[in-house]
Amino acid sequence: MAQKLKETILNPVLKGNPITVLVLGICSALAVTVQLKGALVMALSVIAVTGLSSLVCSLLRNTIPNRVRIIVQLVVVAMMVILVDQILKAGEGTYAIDKQLSVYIGLIITNCIVMGRIEAFALGNKPIPSLLDGLANGVGYGLILVIVAFFRELLGSGTLFGFQVLPAAYVPNNLVILPPFALILIGCIIWVHRALDKDLQEN
Amino acid sequence: MDTNNNVYTVIYTAVVVVVVAAVLAFVASKLGPAQDANAKAETLRQMMSAAGIKPTDELYAMKNADILQLYADNIEEAYTIGLDGEKNGELSVSKDKIELVSKLKPQHKAILADGDATLPVYIFKEGIAVIPIYGAGLWGPVWGYIALCPDNYTIAGAFFDHESETPGLGAKIKDEAWFREKFTGKTVEWGEEPAFRLEKNVEATGATNAVDAITGATMTSKGLNEALNTWFKAYENHFGVGAFFNMLEEHADSETANDNEEE
Repeated sequence: MAQKLKETILNPVLKGNPITVLVLGICSALAVTVQLKGALVMALSVIAVTGLSSLVCSLLRNTIPNRVRIIVQLVVVAMMVILVDQILKAGEGTYAIDKQLSVYIGLIITNCIVMGRIEAFALGNKPIPSLLDGLANGVGYGLILVIVAFFRELLGSGTLFGFQVLPAAYVPNNLVILPPFALILIGCIIWVHRALDKDLQEN
Repeated sequence: MDTNNNVYTVIYTAVVVVVVAAVLAFVASKLGPAQDANAKAETLRQMMSAAGIKPTDELYAMKNADILQLYADNIEEAYTIGLDGEKNGELSVSKDKIELVSKLKPQHKAILADGDATLPVYIFKEGIAVIPIYGAGLWGPVWGYIALCPDNYTIAGAFFDHESETPGLGAKIKDEAWFREKFTGKTVEWGEEPAFRLEKNVEATGATNAVDAITGATMTSKGLNEALNTWFKAYENHFGVGAFFNMLEEHADSETANDNEEE
């Protein structure tokens, strides 16, 4: 049992990482990784949404009519996303970040990771493991987001968390700021990940 | 129990939707005041940055309550005008009544339709007038605040913001201080078409009513240019040469009135 729980938590972060292995949730990974601060808030928002949605859907799993289950899940996910957005807008410190993330917080609804985990895990498992699975998948997603944002902010603006770290002589690279570079970077991360983990390599 | 029964499915979905709606409505009503306070403070920060009350980063480091106090300390008068340039309403000078960005959109429509507009004018200490601008950028709306010196045509400062322009390109209108600082000391040529320009090679031509557009952000620059000119046109009757003559006329009228009294 303990072994299974550990698996539930570690697998989404490493071997079954939603971005680098399942290649889900790529769109937002390209869009909100220009600055670390935004990526971090986005990651926390997704962690909250995946965790809570999985928990609620798992609680409801025996009552949901099978034919409309996707619709019910979507309603639950949408509620969580709107709650996160409202809370970010209400906080004095988070208001500016919410503005910066603009539509991408709302677009968490369409993030395949959330629905994917509900369908694949929460509907067939008890609430606590489902909550952990959701949270862990959010962490796996957030981890990649933060790594990508680290390089994009460093090379694209010469800053980290808004503080200048590279010397002023460094000319920021405009390509890094544009979404295609995030795709290249994610490609590199997948490459490194697969090179390190023999299980992920195909023959 | 058969969860695939039609009646069960319909009732279940309805209940879920009602419960979710209730939760969201409750949260929205609880958080609404805090959200409005944030939006209001944000607008005030941008206006006071344009008016040069404090440096932008200091304003952004201040708490909402301090921002409201700073505004109350520095505002002299706030009113609205119509497209004819005449006052058509008072904005309460107290810190509660601020025209938020969300209210600029309907005003923008009113200007374009040549309809009934209520355009805000904020007069800060030392006669600095702050007016908003609003328009369409590349991905979403762009807006900003222009502060005019007491002579009503020299720009004292500016602040621009946007909803979703490209980071590193169009977003520079907000992120890069050098862009808004370029507006300081420039002039608005009221009555000219266009009154202000964002274009190439401005430094070479030495034009006083133009600023260099942002390289690589052509559409955002175009949108901002359009926004500036649309709104300057709307304020022309209030600040422009026409307004000056109107003032002279009023002055002359009151003088003749005085003469009459003396006789």
